Amino acid sequence: MTRPANVSGWLRLILPWTLLAALLLLPVARPSDNLIRLLFLTAVYSTAGLGWNLLGGMAGQVSFGFAVFFGLGAYTTALLMHAGHSPYFGFIGGASIAMLASFFIGLPTFRLRGPYFVIATIGVTEAVRVIMNNLDITGGASGYRIAEDKPFNPLEHYYTAIVAVALAVLVSTIIANSKFGLALRAIKQDQDAAADLGVNPFTTKLWIHAFAAGLTGIAGGIYARRAGFFYPGDVFAFQTGINILLIPVIGGIGTIWGPVLGGVVFIIVEETISAKYQDFHLMIYGALLILIVLVEPGGLIKSKHLWVRLGKLLIGLFTGETWKALFVMIREILRKLRFLKAQHIEE
Amino acid sequence: MTAVEYLDLLIKALLLAGVYAAMAVGMTVVYGVMKIVNLAHAGFLMLGAYFSFELFTRFHIDPILGAVLALPVFFVFGMLVHWVLVRWLPKSDTPTLASLLLMFGFWLVLQNVGYAVWGNEDQSILTPRTLSAVHIGDEISIPKVNLVVFAAAVVCMILLEIVFHRSWFGRSMRALIQNPYAAQIVGVDDQRTSRMTFGLGTAFAGFAGALLGMLYSFSPDFGRPFLLRSFVIIVLGGLESVSGVALGAIVLAILETFSTVVPLPWYWHGWHTFYLPPSYQPVIPFALLVVVLVIMPKGLAGLFNRKWKTA
Amino acid sequence: MRTHRNFACTCRCRTILLVLLLLGGIGLSSAPAAAATADDTITIGVVLPTTGSESKPGQYQKEGIELAIKQINDAGGIMIKSKGKKYKINEIFYDDSTDSKKSASLVERAMSSDNAVAVIGGYSTALGTAESVMADRYKTPWITTGAGATAIFGKGYQYAFGSLSPVALIGTTSAEFLGSLIDQGKLKKGLKIAMVVENTDHGTDYVNGFNEWANKHKGYFEVVMNEKFELGATDFSSILQRVKNSHADVFLSDAHLPDYITMQRQYLQNGLHHQMVSYGARGPEANARQALGAGTDYIFAGIWWSNKLPYAQAKKFAADYKAFTGHDVDSWYAAPAYDGMRILAKAIETAGSLDKTAIRDALKKVELTDSVLPGQKLKFSANGQADYPFVITQNKPDNKVDIVFPKDAATGDPVAPSPNK
Repeated sequence: MTRPANVSGWLRLILPWTLLAALLLLPVARPSDNLIRLLFLTAVYSTAGLGWNLLGGMAGQVSFGFAVFFGLGAYTTALLMHAGHSPYFGFIGGASIAMLASFFIGLPTFRLRGPYFVIATIGVTEAVRVIMNNLDITGGASGYRIAEDKPFNPLEHYYTAIVAVALAVLVSTIIANSKFGLALRAIKQDQDAAADLGVNPFTTKLWIHAFAAGLTGIAGGIYARRAGFFYPGDVFAFQTGINILLIPVIGGIGTIWGPVLGGVVFIIVEETISAKYQDFHLMIYGALLILIVLVEPGGLIKSKHLWVRLGKLLIGLFTGETWKALFVMIREILRKLRFLKAQHIEE
Repeated sequence: MTAVEYLDLLIKALLLAGVYAAMAVGMTVVYGVMKIVNLAHAGFLMLGAYFSFELFTRFHIDPILGAVLALPVFFVFGMLVHWVLVRWLPKSDTPTLASLLLMFGFWLVLQNVGYAVWGNEDQSILTPRTLSAVHIGDEISIPKVNLVVFAAAVVCMILLEIVFHRSWFGRSMRALIQNPYAAQIVGVDDQRTSRMTFGLGTAFAGFAGALLGMLYSFSPDFGRPFLLRSFVIIVLGGLESVSGVALGAIVLAILETFSTVVPLPWYWHGWHTFYLPPSYQPVIPFALLVVVLVIMPKGLAGLFNRKWKTA
Repeated sequence: MRTHRNFACTCRCRTILLVLLLLGGIGLSSAPAAAATADDTITIGVVLPTTGSESKPGQYQKEGIELAIKQINDAGGIMIKSKGKKYKINEIFYDDSTDSKKSASLVERAMSSDNAVAVIGGYSTALGTAESVMADRYKTPWITTGAGATAIFGKGYQYAFGSLSPVALIGTTSAEFLGSLIDQGKLKKGLKIAMVVENTDHGTDYVNGFNEWANKHKGYFEVVMNEKFELGATDFSSILQRVKNSHADVFLSDAHLPDYITMQRQYLQNGLHHQMVSYGARGPEANARQALGAGTDYIFAGIWWSNKLPYAQAKKFAADYKAFTGHDVDSWYAAPAYDGMRILAKAIETAGSLDKTAIRDALKKVELTDSVLPGQKLKFSANGQADYPFVITQNKPDNKVDIVFPKDAATGDPVAPSPNK
């Protein structure tokens, strides 16, 4: 990497490491079990979201079918652990099986473009879900249970998830800055033009699909090990695929930190809302998503000030100063809209 | 199974296809003109069902009439939704993920509205025709309510097809589908047409919801299984034409119905046949969908439609 | 220029609308119930779906639990001997949106962060199974009031309890009921059975329970069809065609309410008729009556509770429930939840302390002697699951429902075979 030229460049280099260090050192400060759990889930979903983002964000191939990899990761890890292997071996196994599956799915479907590819991925997930529902060796629709002998240690799960999300960020960064990443972006902009320039779109897509599937498979395995129970109607569900896709969309497609931010909104903000407002959590969360799209269609990460404010809103929700935080948030949105309006008039 | 029994199932599959087509057609026009993947479609279906339910329980209006009344009401509602939310989306000639997120958020809001207004009971509409059927001979029975729903769906789709091809609005819609830039150059008001298209799509969603409400029980969570099927149908049908939707709906309905009653051949020391267990039923349409797409990458309608641009 | 001005104007409108939407949403919702950790309250977590596909049963169970809490608190609370005073119950409720991931996660939240001494929850087997993992992990007693699958209680969990009798018993009791009709001469021996159940633990258990009885009593039944279907199907015509071709005498299904309504509608439209028809634990629900009218007549159901039970406490519960919620208790969901909360309160009182393990030990021993459930006694067996008998109800014309089996609880005679209209 080259030396950053200015302050913001330095910040960009330092901040991720600071964040990682803070997350790794967090348990020293004896945070609540709740925070550890939420951060664990955020890390797991961000990992899956980062995986999706490699294919959907960087290569522009929108897939609704990542539930397949999440579920395969979960089942492979569980089966390997059941056979007496270490869970970490299980995660690697989950990633491998997911990558393998990605080739089988990618080989036929990457011949398709645009919406046809999208629907083919839906078809694959649904078919896999129903088959898993009927497969006796995995317990069919009844689901699968992981029983670990040793006592439950939330911090071990937490660290595993943090390492996974760090790995996902690392892989994304390396790919984004490589020639391979350049090829991906070329495919996203114009597949035919990319092919003329000597990029083989088909194999490039297959490989990035495999990386994406691997990360999602790891996320599935880590989730499954902590959950202890899962079933096809959950991990292979269409909704799971949609969730994995929404995380980068909320945060910012094609960026590296967008999916991480999306994971925060998707897990921490969502659960905080549903815990506080039992009767209206769908509406509040839905309205929040609508606001995010309208104010920042490219994802939260694109808006410098907004996500600082969002953090404040989050803190506000935790400390009880919801109204104040909302006020700040709304003020920020109004400012943003005024800016958008000015932009439109200039056009 | 006898030939008459297959015929009976074929009739039922075609009736089901009518319902499927009605529920998918709204999604198709919205997708065609605006490239919006409308996840809130399920929410509109749900509202449509409750709309005719309210008319039926409060004013004793026949649900078929309720479905027809839903058309103008949901047309206005859709235009309102477009005016408040949808038109701010960045324009694109490929499906944008921003639209996906927006409509997902809006779907959550609609669901919550449903829970706040109607609670979480499984409601349904019972009319004298709900449980009766027309019998032809011993083997064939055609449920009256499905027949009525089918007829309503077909009439409305024919009307839509006429609007599509005979009116200025329809022509601007088709122009926008084919080439948004060229359409604007020749004087199509992009915003106005989009607004009316979204209204039209919503009107059909509400209409289809009211029809579905006659066939199924519904709660504010209603619509999920139909959302997935709508996706499948509009892609099978080539994404932008009413006739394509009808074709996609027929293919899906027939596949779903016949996947478990047609003996499938397999080879193990000679040829045998077996019936697919019903628990595997959903595999067939989805697996076949993938196969069809792989063989015909542009959907069924792609056989006679023009080339699709890369997304 | 025109479009620009237009934009400026509508932009403000939109902003205002959006802000109103958001504020309206938050303003409408009541102030969040803060986890009041006052000295004289006991925190109980309740995690049930009030949105999503299981929201209605979840709602009924929540109301049943809240009714029990209200009654206990109105009577002053639970006496804790070690502290020498009465404690009121503080309920912390979470809606899991019928999502098993959220469900397990929220149970964890209640156990780890809200300091709940016990958690009640988990309607429908899948959600309950996901939650059950957390009980032993956090050494916190957990009672499921809505998951009856045997799979949950075969794992040696020490802190997991269930106030529903095993689902398999629905199948066994249904078989026993049909067997008794054969013994009475109302139905013929060698009854041909077609079973079409949902592809879940619930459906599997139902079939297993039925087969268990059938295998012990040879000659009574012949199962001619045994298939599963996917939850939330839109069309049953092909399955029903196969039921028709199986030439069965009795049609048995096990389904959730929406599938029950759809399937029975198509069953009637197809002009099918069997000597007996059942949808497992569904049958007498008011919503099914509303959807099918006379079409639900003579359907029998094996259920955990019925408002027809001839016990004084069951009648009182039905009346209290109506006064508390404003609607009738037309289905079984609320009663096991109500008694689940009451037995928990009794266990806490027996334990005499707020120690979770002490409460667990008490739950293993305690017996609710004025239970509203069939048999009037609620007690957890060694594996943590309750084990009280089922009642078989049968719908009769004019919206009447009778308990027809077992004999000692019966309010009417079974109509068998059901008349062909």
